[in-house]
Amino acid sequence: MIESRSMEGAPGPPPLLRGEGLTRTYEDGGVRALRGVSIAVAPGEFVAITGPSGCGKSTLLHLLGGLDRPSSGTVSYRGRPLGELDLDDFRAREVGFVFQSFHLIPTLDAMENVQVAMMAGGVPRAERPVRARRLLEEVGLSHRLGHEPRRLSIGERQRVAIARALANGPTLLLADEPTGNLDSVSQREILDLLAGLRRERGIALVVVTHSAEVAGEATREVRLRDGEIVS
Amino acid sequence: MGYLRFIARNLGGRPVRTALTTVGLAVAVSAVMLLSGISMGFERAFEAIYRSRGIDLIVVRAGISDQLSSTLDEGMAGEIRQIPGVAELAPSLMDSVSFEGANLVSVLANGWEPGGLLIDGLTILDGRGLREGDGAAVLLGRVLALNLGKGVGDRVEIAGEPFRVAGVYESESLFENGGLVMPLGELQRMMGRQGQVTGFVVVAGPGTDPGALGREIERRVGGVAATPARDYVAGNIQLRLARAMAAATTGIALLLGSVGLLNTMAMAVTERTSEIGLLRALGWKRTRIVLLLMGEAAALGLLGVLVGTVLAFGGARAVVLAPTSRGFIDPNLSPVVLGVGLALGVGLTLLGGLYPAIRASRLEPTEALRHD
Repeated sequence: MIESRSMEGAPGPPPLLRGEGLTRTYEDGGVRALRGVSIAVAPGEFVAITGPSGCGKSTLLHLLGGLDRPSSGTVSYRGRPLGELDLDDFRAREVGFVFQSFHLIPTLDAMENVQVAMMAGGVPRAERPVRARRLLEEVGLSHRLGHEPRRLSIGERQRVAIARALANGPTLLLADEPTGNLDSVSQREILDLLAGLRRERGIALVVVTHSAEVAGEATREVRLRDGEIVS
Repeated sequence: MGYLRFIARNLGGRPVRTALTTVGLAVAVSAVMLLSGISMGFERAFEAIYRSRGIDLIVVRAGISDQLSSTLDEGMAGEIRQIPGVAELAPSLMDSVSFEGANLVSVLANGWEPGGLLIDGLTILDGRGLREGDGAAVLLGRVLALNLGKGVGDRVEIAGEPFRVAGVYESESLFENGGLVMPLGELQRMMGRQGQVTGFVVVAGPGTDPGALGREIERRVGGVAATPARDYVAGNIQLRLARAMAAATTGIALLLGSVGLLNTMAMAVTERTSEIGLLRALGWKRTRIVLLLMGEAAALGLLGVLVGTVLAFGGARAVVLAPTSRGFIDPNLSPVVLGVGLALGVGLTLLGGLYPAIRASRLEPTEALRHD
């Protein structure tokens, strides 16, 4: 088992999130997407997970975010195994997800897409539009509040997705190729936005990416190959 | 934003699917409402014949299933009148005639005694009532007069014989409004049933239990069945047939509607697998997903019922105005019928939506998110 390099004997704050000996085998086809991966993420850290396509990056991200369960190994949040937590509450309150294809709900406008996350996070109904407006202003979309996804540019859609990920004030943002569908200008804007959020909110960022530019912004890079950490 | 808005946006954002599902459901709901309404309308019209005149008992030949096939001796009237508790009695001969020129078949023809309690239950709109010794005179129901285009003083041919229209009446019963009344003796002569009637109607005296009186009549007069009016109406063969047809149609509509809606809801959920995966990723609990999808199903159900109710009222109006059913059918879209439609429509959609909703809620987020 290889653990990511910067955690080896590293002093500092206890990890926010820790994965130990994570394997994930898909029964259909017997594919082993992950083979005993261990990783820890400290509060406020920016970790980039890189590697070739099919190496298990997204699988690792999903396991860390409680979207999927490992075949073996454990994921702990603030020292508690996710198995002991209410996974729905964990995803709703502690984690924000950003996906490459945004996954915005097409029938809802930007404000409503953000509020959908708040419905699971226990935000009082009266507070939802106020908070959604503030978050969308924060990501630079104050002029697009009532726009449905089809009326937004690709970059704007990803901004809405980021605002939604922040809806319940998470401590951890997990992003799967957040700039994968963006042009270089939009990619730079999103990167700056994520960096700013991390700096101002102290959110830990775990980003799966193919982009060297994104990886270069991270405080730590974890490289995967064939389901194992190689550096 | 809350659940209701989310549901409204989801339905409004897919207008074609919402409209098609609503129309499919509305057709099923309106069919059930209309058929149940027709069945209840029959019952109401039949019951009105007796209710409006305060009739307590119907006396017909024992063992017959339809009053038209009953034959009793007119002379029994005197025997029944002697029974304590009988306040009033009127003989009635009932048959059906047709007016082929007006495309009217099976028009109710009543032979009643002038001045009897049956004739007294009619409201004369024009002309006069029947009198002793009237001979070939006839009273036309309001709807029949309209359908035939005849009025007071006109000549009308009934079963090949000429009659003069003495008056036009209105009754609380649709059947009677679509029929005609002539002197009992005239109808007996025309139908070759001299001295015969199909039955008697009896009004019980104050404080007399109609059920007990009926049993007493049956004991004293052999070969007759004396049934309380309400039970007689409830047991009427035509009404039972109408009720059975309405029930069968409701069952078929329920089955077809369930299958159609299950398919529609399953497709709607499958199309949104990725969206449901997203909601799960955002921390939505399974129960929340089920609630959302069932809320959408219920909203579709309510929409379907709303449109179905409009269609049912439109259909009822069309049936009342159609030449082939005018004067015979008056659907009774009572609150009970509308309630049945509401329960059916919403129940169907909830039933159709339940399985896909539960199935969708069980999807793992990663599995669902891959459906793009």
